[in-house]
Amino acid sequence: MPTITFAFKDFQQLLGKKLTMAELEDLLVLYAKAEVENYDKKSGEISVKLDDTNLPYVWCPEGLARFLKGVSGMRKGAARLKVNGSSYKIIVDDSVKKARPFITAFVAKGRKLDDYLLKQLVQMQEKFCEGYGRRRQKVSIGLYSYKRIAFPVHYKAVVPESVRFAPLEFDRKLNLREILQQHPKGRQYGWIIQNFPKYPLLLDDKGEVLSLPPIINSNFTGRLEVGDSELLFEATGTDEESTNLAANIFAQNMSERGFQIHAVAVKYSTRTVTAPEVKTEKARVSPQEVEQLTGLKLKDAEINQLLQRAGYDVEGGYAVVPRYRADIMHPADVIEDVAIAYGFGKIREEPLRSYTIGAKDKSAALINSLRKVVAGAGFQEIFSHILTDKKSLAAAAADAGKEKCVVELENPMSETYSAVRSSLLPGLLDVLSRNKHADYPQKVFEEGIVAARDGSKVREWHSLALVSAHSKADFTEQKQHLSAIFASLGTQFAIRPAEHAAFIRGRAGSIIVDKKILGIIGEISPAVLSRFGIEMPAAALELDLSLLS
Amino acid sequence: MAADEKRASDIAASLHRLERAVLPHLEKHSSVAEIITSLGMQEVEVLRALNWLQNKGLAKVSETIEEIIALGENGKLYAKSLLPETRFLNALSSKPLPLSEIKKAAGLSDDEIGASIGVLMRLKAIEPAASSGEKSFKLSEAGKEFVRTGLKTQKFLSVKKFPAKAKELSEEERKIAAELKMRKEVLAENIIKNRTAVLTEAGRGVLKKASTSRETVDRLTPEMLATGKWKTAQFRSYDLAPPAPRVFFGRLQPYREFLEEVREKFAALGFEEMTGPIVESEFWNMDALFMPQFHSARDIHDVYYVKEPKYAADLPQQLVKRVKAAHENGFGTGGKGWRYEFSDEKTSRLIMRSQTTACSARKLAAPDLKIPGKYFAIGRCFRYDVIDAKHLADFNQVEGIVVEEGINLRHLIGLLKLFAKEFCNTEEVKVVPSYFPFTEPSAALYAKHPSLGWVELGGAGIFRPEMVKPLVGRQVPVIAWGIGIDRIAMFRLGLDDIRELFSHDLGFLRSAKVV
Repeated sequence: MPTITFAFKDFQQLLGKKLTMAELEDLLVLYAKAEVENYDKKSGEISVKLDDTNLPYVWCPEGLARFLKGVSGMRKGAARLKVNGSSYKIIVDDSVKKARPFITAFVAKGRKLDDYLLKQLVQMQEKFCEGYGRRRQKVSIGLYSYKRIAFPVHYKAVVPESVRFAPLEFDRKLNLREILQQHPKGRQYGWIIQNFPKYPLLLDDKGEVLSLPPIINSNFTGRLEVGDSELLFEATGTDEESTNLAANIFAQNMSERGFQIHAVAVKYSTRTVTAPEVKTEKARVSPQEVEQLTGLKLKDAEINQLLQRAGYDVEGGYAVVPRYRADIMHPADVIEDVAIAYGFGKIREEPLRSYTIGAKDKSAALINSLRKVVAGAGFQEIFSHILTDKKSLAAAAADAGKEKCVVELENPMSETYSAVRSSLLPGLLDVLSRNKHADYPQKVFEEGIVAARDGSKVREWHSLALVSAHSKADFTEQKQHLSAIFASLGTQFAIRPAEHAAFIRGRAGSIIVDKKILGIIGEISPAVLSRFGIEMPAAALELDLSLLS
Repeated sequence: MAADEKRASDIAASLHRLERAVLPHLEKHSSVAEIITSLGMQEVEVLRALNWLQNKGLAKVSETIEEIIALGENGKLYAKSLLPETRFLNALSSKPLPLSEIKKAAGLSDDEIGASIGVLMRLKAIEPAASSGEKSFKLSEAGKEFVRTGLKTQKFLSVKKFPAKAKELSEEERKIAAELKMRKEVLAENIIKNRTAVLTEAGRGVLKKASTSRETVDRLTPEMLATGKWKTAQFRSYDLAPPAPRVFFGRLQPYREFLEEVREKFAALGFEEMTGPIVESEFWNMDALFMPQFHSARDIHDVYYVKEPKYAADLPQQLVKRVKAAHENGFGTGGKGWRYEFSDEKTSRLIMRSQTTACSARKLAAPDLKIPGKYFAIGRCFRYDVIDAKHLADFNQVEGIVVEEGINLRHLIGLLKLFAKEFCNTEEVKVVPSYFPFTEPSAALYAKHPSLGWVELGGAGIFRPEMVKPLVGRQVPVIAWGIGIDRIAMFRLGLDDIRELFSHDLGFLRSAKVV
């Protein structure tokens, strides 16, 4: 979810209305799936968080103001964009097809960049490329000072070692592979192109490098500065719809900021596209469909009005999707916009009508009964994380003989949460180790899901574990508990001697029901206790509940 | 005065059996030892009773330490049948004798002979006598005097009454005792604690009452019940003020109990529980929810991937095909889909479930799906988050669906308002637009909490047709909702750090308030 920062004053100008901060907060929450995160009164800057990850045109003050003007009734329909014809060309070589096949561009002239506008352009570029552009993989954007560029511009892929140029913030020239290795942006985004034999490159007609998309601009042509008034915008990527969207959003914003937009002809080997390209999409939303989804009984005219408030043009009964939007995949998307423009707050709620029978999961009854039985025996219930670390499982010897069965995470954020627990005992031992100064006896239990690898699958089951620690904790006490548990279940059990590294030799047994091993019981081995720093004898049992029901 | 009497009789009634026994003897004896003898009770019992009486201000117990000198084994022997040196001297009383004859006459061993010679030579009591062969001794003048008056050590042993108090010995006796102490088992020294106890004024008052009050009973016994003795028994009153030793009840974990309560609530509202695995495939966790495979929430920085096994072996292939079509081209739902190449490998990749919506997807595709039907799931979910006061790596989510022909956004808003009432006890709510990749329209629920102000309680929406149709087989409205249950739990339990929901602190758990 992107968060953007802009000047409140600038936003009021864009909106054409002097609204208060409270009014803005309301508008954002009620219509824009957005909220004010911070308002710095001193600098007059606001930070706004936007929820819709699929609607980048509102990730900037220009688009957000345009949207709010619509829903608050200050404007109707889509924003117009005047694109001037021109002779600017980008010639696309087929060699880019593998790595990064699409490019789009436009030229913007006629307004001097000031510090604030430059910051806004850079912010929008970053938000778009990081979020919607999937960290530049799908789309990346370049902005250049136009006056240093000799048209036509060429877009082609080259062998990385064959070209050298000085990237932004670097004085010395590097070849493309060196840029990936040495430039901070190269290290950050190099993964996108490094496995291709040729890298995409943008050059002007004199062979001067503009940029190595999607990594870095050249230090010579690719540097935007305050005072620049003639800009080249380009977006490259792997998805043409997304590069077009980028160009249309930027062109619209810059036009609203006072620039004139000039088209650029993008010449592919088989076709020529006049960028920024407009592919208008239309959707038909009928009163019936609106009612089906929203419950609102609206006439065509009302729907049309709401569509226009939501920023659509209406043509012959169709909603025309604005050129700066690419999020409409289904009529339901348009209908949601109608409902938002109508105002969720004005929609009258309706109760559900049908009668259904509620029920907890069928395992809940047994589990909850057992929890109460064990708590009744004086055990404090523990509720732990399911993620744990392999080391603590090993310290408790919970993985003894089945180390390979522990389900581990491939990308843990920290060691502490790097594996799925395969037993509840390590968690309970952790409780004992953290409470050495609390009163004894300490009797704790937990019921919960554990998991382990079982061949090519993962098995998950409900487990119940008890640990008691005090100076006389022993096997007999635990067996008393086990007997009481089975008595409450009305089930017979047997104990067969077992060897388990977590328990004292000769004082551990498998719990057997119907010839199946259901769990383990015994006195915790002093080696395990000392690994947990526990200075009190402890006895434990753990039962697989899934086999019981 | 009447008040004092009342107090005295109250105390008298609350006296323990032991206190009651000891109290009268304090009038007759002051030495604890004597009290013990006259009572015929065990020392510990008497001491305990005296301690209690002293704590109640009824008696004053004091203690003196005394050194007592007694005769040792040899001392007793020497007192009666004389010290070896005395016998040595006596043997020489008539005439000088050779050693062998002294030995015979005094009845001494070789060792005793040697020791006696040493002692007597030091006292200058004997001197060697001239002899032809064997070594002989005779008495000196001093020796003759000693035979008449006796050796000081002998007099000490034979005349003194033992055991004797060390502090009552004369200066000279003390010197003699010190000398004798060096010899083996002649004198034994004991430290004796002399306890004395006397009644206080209050004690006298209580004693008067105690002697007139009946014998009290300390414990009701099965025997008393069987024999009916309880009918005449008077039970000792207890002192109720002292703290009792702490015990800890077995208690259910408060957060888990809260979650159980939530389940009860949903069951009561007509929702049936659904479950699913925590190690889940990307298919059920995301693809079935129409979340595109390139969605940012599917990044390695958002979801935990399982190391081994990497892939789910049991995906329903027909269903995967339909979901794939929905992603690629909309699956005939009237939508155009996400338009990218769907990866079958990615869809079977195993991850830790990141949202309980996976359970909803499984339920929608299940053959036992009821229409109309209401379902809920409470389950553990896992997110790639830095752990802090607001974020956990695994946490609980509550989600649910309502599947029914003819339901729409108005029912969704109605349902959210119902939840606000049920879980936040408020009717002040705001339902505002929101975004989820699998719902359209999507809404967020804010409720005005009496003390927290506007709180985002949960999210909801109507599942997209591109999600529903592949799973159910046809389009049917499905309202989906999720509630931020952890936040409500924290408020209910009075916590401000989310980590405390899973606390391993026994002090905290044992003392948690009942809610």
